[in-house]
Parts: sequence; C-alpha cells; structure tokens
Amino acid sequence: MLKTILKRILQSIPTLLIVVTVTFVLTRMIPGNPARSVLGPQASPDAIAELEEEMGLNKSKAEQYVDYMFNVLKGDFGKSYVYNKPVTTLIAERIPNTLVITLTSLVIALIIGLAIGVFSALHQYSILDYVFMILALVGVSMPIFWLGMMLVMTFSVNLGWLPALGMGDLSNGLGDFISHMILPCFCLATIPTATFARITRSSMLEVINNDSIKSLRARGIKESVVIWKHALKNALPPIVTVLGLQLAQAFTGAILTESIFSWPGMGTMIVSAIDNRDYQLIQGTVLFIAVVFVVVNLLVDVVYMLINPRVSYESGKGGK
Amino acid sequence: MKRKSLALALAAVLCVSSLTACGSSGNDSKKDTADKGTEAGTESGGETKQVEKEKIEVPDEPTKGGTLTVSLSSSPRNLDPAMYTGSYEGQVINNVCDRVVEYNKDLSEIVPSLAESWTVSDDGLTYVFKIRQGVKFQKGKYQDGREMTADDVAYSLNRSAKESSLNRLDMLENAEVTGDWEVTCTLAEPNAAFLTALTDAGNSVVPKEEVEGWGDEFGAHLVGTGPFAMESFELDQQSVLVKNPDYWVAEPNLDKLVFKVITDSNQAANALKTGEIDIASSITGEAVQSVRDDSKLQLMEMPGLHVAYIYFNQVNGPTADIKVREALIKAINVEEMTASIYQYGEAVPAKLSLPPGSWGYDASCEELVPDYDPEGAKKLLTEAGYPDGFECDLYISNTALREKMATLVQAYLKTNLNVTVNINKSEWGTFSESASSGNADMYGMSWTWYPDPYFFLNKLFSSKEIGALGNGQGFSNAEVDQLLDDALKATDQNERAEMYKKALRIVTEQLPGIFYSNENVIHGLNPAVQDFVQKADNQMFFVTPWTNVWKVQ
Repeated sequence: MLKTILKRILQSIPTLLIVVTVTFVLTRMIPGNPARSVLGPQASPDAIAELEEEMGLNKSKAEQYVDYMFNVLKGDFGKSYVYNKPVTTLIAERIPNTLVITLTSLVIALIIGLAIGVFSALHQYSILDYVFMILALVGVSMPIFWLGMMLVMTFSVNLGWLPALGMGDLSNGLGDFISHMILPCFCLATIPTATFARITRSSMLEVINNDSIKSLRARGIKESVVIWKHALKNALPPIVTVLGLQLAQAFTGAILTESIFSWPGMGTMIVSAIDNRDYQLIQGTVLFIAVVFVVVNLLVDVVYMLINPRVSYESGKGGK
Repeated sequence: MKRKSLALALAAVLCVSSLTACGSSGNDSKKDTADKGTEAGTESGGETKQVEKEKIEVPDEPTKGGTLTVSLSSSPRNLDPAMYTGSYEGQVINNVCDRVVEYNKDLSEIVPSLAESWTVSDDGLTYVFKIRQGVKFQKGKYQDGREMTADDVAYSLNRSAKESSLNRLDMLENAEVTGDWEVTCTLAEPNAAFLTALTDAGNSVVPKEEVEGWGDEFGAHLVGTGPFAMESFELDQQSVLVKNPDYWVAEPNLDKLVFKVITDSNQAANALKTGEIDIASSITGEAVQSVRDDSKLQLMEMPGLHVAYIYFNQVNGPTADIKVREALIKAINVEEMTASIYQYGEAVPAKLSLPPGSWGYDASCEELVPDYDPEGAKKLLTEAGYPDGFECDLYISNTALREKMATLVQAYLKTNLNVTVNINKSEWGTFSESASSGNADMYGMSWTWYPDPYFFLNKLFSSKEIGALGNGQGFSNAEVDQLLDDALKATDQNERAEMYKKALRIVTEQLPGIFYSNENVIHGLNPAVQDFVQKADNQMFFVTPWTNVWKVQ
C-alpha cells in the first residue's frame, strides 16, 4: 500500500506543474499593470517603471516564468506587493479562518446529508423522500451568492437574530464567535448537504437491495445493525469520494461566501489579489488550493483502500 | 484518479480565472475616475418617491462615549502617509493625524491647523509657517507622547516630497526649520496649489522616531497628533481607533472609531440596517435606493468633486470644427442620459468642466452650454459640411458606467445626426494610452481631485498637459494658458478664483466636450449619528474645529 501511495504522490507532480503553468499564463493574461495597481492611478511613470523593475516585470514573460518556477521549487512563493508580505505568511495567516468555516460546514453537511440520505433510502417513494429529494435538488442548484444575500435579508435585517457580516472575536465570548459563523456556514453547507443526501440515498438503495444485505436480514439480525453497520459501510465508497470533492469545492465556495460575509479568509484575499493584479499572491493561493485538491484526493484514495481493500489502483480506476 | 485530480485542479484555476473577469471591472472603476475616487449617488432622479423618515429623540447636549463604526468599500493597505496609494487609507489617516493646513467645512478656503498662520513671499516661492505650540503626539512605542515641533513638520513634508511615489508634494523643493516654531518651505516655481496639496492625508505630520523605529511597519502603527489614536489594524477587516483625550482641538465625543471593510455595497446597506455599522460610506447602485427607502435610516448625498465627460479631439478629425462639436452636444440629452446611467440617482446632470463643489465654479457659465436640440444639431452639422453624418471612434475603459454612456451616445448620435460611433473599450492602462495619444476622436472618462480649480482646469486644458491623460485631446488656447499660469502664481484665493472663472468661461465657449454628470458623495447613516458633516471631496472627519461627531445612546 505504501508503494501505491508513493506512486500516487509522484503522479501528482505533473498535475501541480500544469497548475503552476496555467496560473502563470492566466495571471499574465489579465489586462492591467500590477505596478500601476499597487501605486494607484496618480503615480508617476518613473515610479511605475521603478516598481516594475523591482517586481521583475521588465523581464520577458519566459524569464519571469523560469524565475518563478525556480523560486517555487525552492519553496519561495514570492512576496505580495499589495500586502507587502511573503505569500506564504499571508496564506498561513488566512487559512485558519477559512478552515473554521469550511470544515464546520462540511461536518454539518455530512451529518445532515447522511441522515437524510439513509432515511430517504429506507422510505423510498414516501412523501418525505420526495420532499427531501426536491429540497436536495433545490439545494444543489442554489447560487451561493443569492443564498447568502437571502440569508442576510431574512436572519439579520428582518429578524435581527444574527450578525450580517464579519468574524466574531473570541475575546467577546464564544457566543459572539459562533453567531458570526452561523450564516456563512449555512451558506457553505447547503450544496454539500444536498449532494451528500442524494449520493447516500442512491448508494444505500443499491446496497440494501444486494443479496448480502438480504441474507443478513434473513439471518434475523437486527434491522438497525443491518442498516447502520453493514449497509452503510458498503455504501460508503461513493460518499467518501464525494466528501473529497466537496472538501476541495468548499475552498472555492469559500471565495464567494467570504466575500458576501466579509469573512477574513483565503477567499477575500484571492478576490482582492485579483482586483489588485497581485500576480505572486494569485499564483501562490491558486497553487495552494491545487495542492489541497491533490492531497485531499490522495487521502480519499487511501481511505478507499482502508474501507475496501479490494480496491486497487494498479489496474486503473477501481471502486465506483 | 490522476486525471480526476488534474481536472479538479484545473477547475479551481478556471474558477479563479472567471473571477478575474469580474475583478477587472471592479478595479478599473476605481481608476477610471482618475484619482481620489469619490463614489456616487443622488436625488437627481426626481421620480424617486420620498419615504417618511422616523424621527429619533435627540438630546440637546452631545452624549459622550460610544463606538462609531464606519464602513469602507475596500481595505486600506498601508497607512503610512508617505506610502499610501488609495482613497481608503486617507479616511483613516485623516482621523489619526493632522496636517499643516486643512480645507474648511464647505471647502471654500484653507484654514490653519498645525500651522497657526503662514505668509507667502511676493514671488510665490517661499511659504513661512508659524507652527502651533503645545500639540502632543499620541503615545507610541518609540516616543512617549512628546510635543510636536517644527522639526517634525519639516521632516514629514520633506519625507512626503522625496519618498511618495505619487508626487503628492512634488512642487516642494525643501522644507527647513527657520526658527523655534517656524518652518520655511521653498518651491521650485510658484504654485498656489501647494496649500491644497498640503491638505492631503499623505502630507500628515508624523514623529520621526516612530517612522524610523517601525520602518516598513509604520503604517500598521501610525502615530500622529489627531483626534484618534490607532489601536489595531487588521488588513481586510478593520482599523480600530481610540480617542485621544488630549486632542488639541477638542476632546472627542466618541470613545472609539472603527473603520470596517465591507466590499459589497448591498452588504454595507444590510449592516447599516442591522446596526452593525453607523455610517456606510461609498454605497452604490441598489444599496443607495434601499437606504433611501428605509424609514429608519438617513441618506446624505451631495454632488462630489467629480465630473464625467466626453472629450472631443480638438486638433484632428471632424470634431476639430467647433460647429461639429456644438452639433454633437446639441444632439445628446444630458439629463436623460445621466438618469439612465445612474439609475438610482447616484449622480446629478452637469454642465461645466469644473464640479460645483470647487471654489472656482461659476454658475453663470452654464448658459454657454447648448441645450438639447436635435433639429438645431442636424442643421449645424449640415452647415459644417456633414449633411449625411460621419463615422468616428469613442474610446472608453471597460467599466459598466462608461459602457452604458457609450451605448447611449451611440444611439443619440445615430438617431439625431446619422453619425456612426464605434465604441472602443479596453482596460484602463490601454485606454489611458489611447486617450493621451491625441488620436481618439472622442474619449469618455471622469476626473476627480482636490477643490482647487488647478487640479481640474490646468490638468484638462493647459497646453502644457497635452500628451498627458488630462489634456489628451490637445486643447490649446493662449488666453486660457495665460490665465491658468497667472492663477498659479497669484497667492490670494479670491484673485485666483476670478482668473479661474475667466478661464472656465473661455474653455466653456470652446465647447471642448460634453461634461455630463457629477457623481454624488453618498453616506448612509444611522440617525443616532449626530453632527456628521459631509464634504464634496468625500473626506470624512469626525473631530474638527467645526464638528465633533457623537452618537445618541
């Protein structure tokens, strides 16, 4: 198994190289001059030229690319001129804030999604099953930005129950911190909850109609044990895959959610980096998110192997 | 599996790149307005119905204490006065630091601040400032709230002149201490706009120990002599200021002043409704309407120091002929156009190249601008030799406001004059290059700066500025040049105002372009906020000789 994992790590290197290259090309394609962005429109041409030189923008694109690649390999992601700090420091500062809401919302989504999915599978074609699945369909299709605004209108502006934006301060008590988290987490959890519910339902349906489960029931084993221990375990692989996907997607979802709720995480930083043509920061954060994607996928594969040792990656795709 | 992770990673990249598309418009709209960035809004759309506003009980005497939270639509980055580049930093710096002189409440004249008085030499080259005694800095890490001296003033001004990449004080050759409480500033050539430049947040007086002690970090630990001292600065979140009880003007009524970053305008309006903020600055679009319609909130709006315009080529092409320019002006209904561009009344229709908030404005010039008259326009164009119209290019930067404008202009000119307008839109950098080149038939942009007419009239109409962005269309008039030069050498503001008014009259007679709207300065307020003074330059001050903002508790 160790060998497989090692192999998977090696396989992800080309992926990351492609990501670095594509990001480099894309940032260079955004119209606008980063030096001008940093200095503002009143800046003199001399000052702009001077900063361009300092930022290495006067070199050819190819030279810039080679420089950047070498620096990345050395672990140097450059410095953000807008924030005047190393990119790695900035990411380290922001990542905890993003993790707080992404992980919380995923845990909530997983619990609620699994419960709804199992319930719907067991009560297939019941009225509640229909209601849940329609809700799940609505949830999956919900634009986050719109949902966020609606949540704020309802719970902050009209009902006045929850703060509309910002991150709570732990020094004001845990309550303040949690109350600020509720709306962003709700917003981020909607799509994963709906996805988990749908995938759990279909996976469970497939499993509970299996002969193995039928035979367990025939042997008179308690229904709750059949469902929660045996059926769910067999239904897990697709759910784990989706969990990996959702975790990675939560990061991109956080870009929108954080912008709506002025949540000081990676998302707001990426948006302002793009606004300011902060090349190094855009490249650094995108590469970081790509690494998260790759690592999560690797973990998913490992978990896969653990819950279902028959899965092998030697012969291409396994599992479902 | 490998393919999947690549696909996912690329999806993330694409997601970010699609954001770049949205990102560009937001960013350029800031720049499209060639500088200090006043945002907009108004009552112009006369059809908006008035909402009955609820009254709150206001005590006669100001209440002391409380926290006032103000939203900013973008995060300040570097609060070091000499290093700041955006208008958001200025709002914070203004309230932590003082400057040598300030504009008064209605921007009509320059008044003393850290300088008690000043004299100007007859040649306009030497300014001698008498520095106020007994003013203390806020306590910092490297000094213990010592008295501010003439050395600090000279140090801060020289630092700004030499280190600021924005040339905020490029007219200053040197500032030196010439007495215990005296600083003498020498200019390279006479420039009466020097005093106005001194009012910029970038020219705030700061203590040398703190600047050198903190180095690059000074911005996050800004120290000045102002009404509020910096408590904390969190990038992209907030700047928390606490009152400076020893402030030399007056003890601030507020205990705390918080600038909170809320990038989404609708969210700023929501936060105002929930009471999370007390003042929403720079709200735009629908958010303006939602505050206007809310009976529990107050909307303050006034025309800003901003003018949006279409500048005609003065040298080449059909528009070099003044008859053609007059025809084009007559063919466009400016009121209707402004109301369509700014749907929520975020701007008022304009006439002149100088905003009404500037002290050089002369309302009597307004009548020189032809009114909407499509038939008269057609006749003029026929006289000018274009009975069947012509084809021309309109350059704009790719922002929503300009795109709307260009589409409307295209329609007006096609319908009324059979003139075909090709719209050339590009991002700001490319746009400003084409606009400065003198090759554009017409270009559309906006201009906003200080109240001194110099920053509008000289920049847009002096022949010295040909080739720069301001006068990219080659406006050249010897009499205007002379007036603008003289106005820069004169030192008396009334005298200068007269010269600018004369220059404005000649410029207006030449019909150089269509100056179609002044964007409003807009603030959404919780009615508990008292004595907040809105200024046309969109600078927010909370404790000054003329106001001391407080909150009904």
